[in-house]
Amino acid sequence: MINDKNSQKIVDIIRNYARKHSLWILAYGTGCGAIELPPTMTSRYDAERLGVRGAATPRQADLLLITGYLTTKSLKRVIRVYEQMQDPKYVIGFGSCTINGGMYWDSYNTIKALDRYLPVDVYINGCMPRPEAVLSGFAKLQELIQDGKANGAKEYKENLKWYRDNQKKVITNWKMPEYNW
Amino acid sequence: MSFVLAFFVGITYMGLSRIVTARVQNRIGPPWYQNFFDVFKLFSKDTSIHHGIMHHMGPAFMMVTAVMSLLIIPIFNGGSFFTNLNFHGDLIFLIYIMVFGPLGMALGAGQTGNPNSAIGVTRGLSQIVGFEIPWVMALVALMIQYKTTSIVDLMNIQAETGKWLMFTSPFAFIAAVLAMLGMFRYAPFDIVGAPQELASGPMSENGGKYLFVMMSSGAVFAFAKLTLYVDIFMGGANNLIILVVKTFILYLIPVLYGIVSPRYRTEQSVRFFWGWPTLFGLLAILQAAFL
Amino acid sequence: MMMEEIKTTIIDRIKLHFSDAVEKEFSYNRLDFSVKKETVPSILFYLKEEMGFKHLSHISCVDWLEEGEFEMIFILWSPEEKIKVFIHTRVDRSNPVMDNIDMIWRQANTYEREMKEMYGIQFTGLEAPEEFLLEDWNGPPPMRRDFDTEAYAAKTYWERPGREDALDVRETVEKRTGEVLPEFAKKYKR
Repeated sequence: MINDKNSQKIVDIIRNYARKHSLWILAYGTGCGAIELPPTMTSRYDAERLGVRGAATPRQADLLLITGYLTTKSLKRVIRVYEQMQDPKYVIGFGSCTINGGMYWDSYNTIKALDRYLPVDVYINGCMPRPEAVLSGFAKLQELIQDGKANGAKEYKENLKWYRDNQKKVITNWKMPEYNW
Repeated sequence: MSFVLAFFVGITYMGLSRIVTARVQNRIGPPWYQNFFDVFKLFSKDTSIHHGIMHHMGPAFMMVTAVMSLLIIPIFNGGSFFTNLNFHGDLIFLIYIMVFGPLGMALGAGQTGNPNSAIGVTRGLSQIVGFEIPWVMALVALMIQYKTTSIVDLMNIQAETGKWLMFTSPFAFIAAVLAMLGMFRYAPFDIVGAPQELASGPMSENGGKYLFVMMSSGAVFAFAKLTLYVDIFMGGANNLIILVVKTFILYLIPVLYGIVSPRYRTEQSVRFFWGWPTLFGLLAILQAAFL
Repeated sequence: MMMEEIKTTIIDRIKLHFSDAVEKEFSYNRLDFSVKKETVPSILFYLKEEMGFKHLSHISCVDWLEEGEFEMIFILWSPEEKIKVFIHTRVDRSNPVMDNIDMIWRQANTYEREMKEMYGIQFTGLEAPEEFLLEDWNGPPPMRRDFDTEAYAAKTYWERPGREDALDVRETVEKRTGEVLPEFAKKYKR
């Protein structure tokens, strides 16, 4: 009687409500979009109303913001950081460089579509997105969490082989741990 | 039962401090129940990663410290609901127990092998050396003046004479309040666990359920310390409302002082604590011995 | 007036000591000298010690694909007289070897490592670890003009469909302002 579907639903509603109201962002600016984060967090466009605050290490954070372009050099480090975070975790892609390459569409060093290397939940477009756009991106992620649809971490675990093949094609000197779940 | 009360009141105080900080900085902060969401979110993480048995038990040491110090601090004055274990000499016992928690956290952080944790732990323990001196001096001054080492006796003295110990031994109160700034680890003494410093020091490898234990033990411990101050210096409390009012007024002192201060380095904070607060502690001992 | 006298002094002294220097004046406080490759360390040392150009501002490189040469440019600045001197040299493109000048200024080490990685210019006696900016790179040096970055990017990275209607920048600007491209620029798009 405790483990049936309805009580699981109630527990899920309470858990998602708590999770959506306290998102902790890893303080790691991967690209040039990180310059839009201080205005969002400080007095004028206050992001702490939504419960968003900065966390210092990947073990404490549950939202990774990829703010802008990713070179292959930083993609290796970002994958390592992403795999150190604890479930449930979400990824937001900022800016048009994560969507289709953006300004660096013909560059020899940046990746063009983030979706093939990391599971992304929400994209925010713009170059750079204004703080109002960032806040609406957080609100959309909160909606997805409440409906139970923000399952990026689960997809990563299930399709790990596909993600790894894509990553290894781009990063030639692969020195990361191999998982066996 | 007092643990549940301490948990609720402590977490509410942490949320209220975030609102106070936000209003001073001219923005609307999170609602007062925000820290409950934080704590519940950390509790409901699906995976938990640890580096060995000592790291797994590290937060448990902090929680044990908080609960043990809560057990011997009487919460309400002479009521029959929240009587705790008290015995003669429990003030000295309290001084020992309050240092036990950070030691446990240090052991846990040492097993992770993260150099950030190791440096953060040494900084934290050096700061404890700093603020323990005026704190112990203030308590020793009280013990000399009233010839007792039991918290209940100090409360009874306040009930009998009708005057708070805050007024009859003022130097001890000032030294204890200045030591309280170091105990709570708000700015300017938050070099141990601040996120901008060394990736939050000893807590850098704890996430999920371990962080839940550490946050709630921090809340319970804060409530215990505040209640201790109210019991010793401000005459105890008869019911919940007076307790909340008195502890909140005391809690605002480190919060408001911390909003406007930058951070001290470790040697600067130790130098601060061995300056004016120690002077006030010495004056308190002199006043207790000769007056 | 003062600047003209300073400039003529500099030109006279340089031409006295180094016979293969050709000068050109650009603007108020800038002088250009073109020298041969072998005299570069001695002219830089002379400018630094004897004439007060203490500050090395930049080392840059231009890829003249049609003439088959690299042109290296050293920019020096004198803080007392507030005048810039540019030293130009030409290096052969098929086998680019230059002299190492980081015994004169220590920061030239960083510029030379960048040149080595991005253009492929070898510096004799340069002590540097292998990689600087690019990691695990095993293609041609990327800043040369005959390296087609667009083809390389299309080959290596998966691109999201939907950008096919993107316009070429140079043609759009041409149509907008009516500028006419010179002949040599029409052969290489970038």
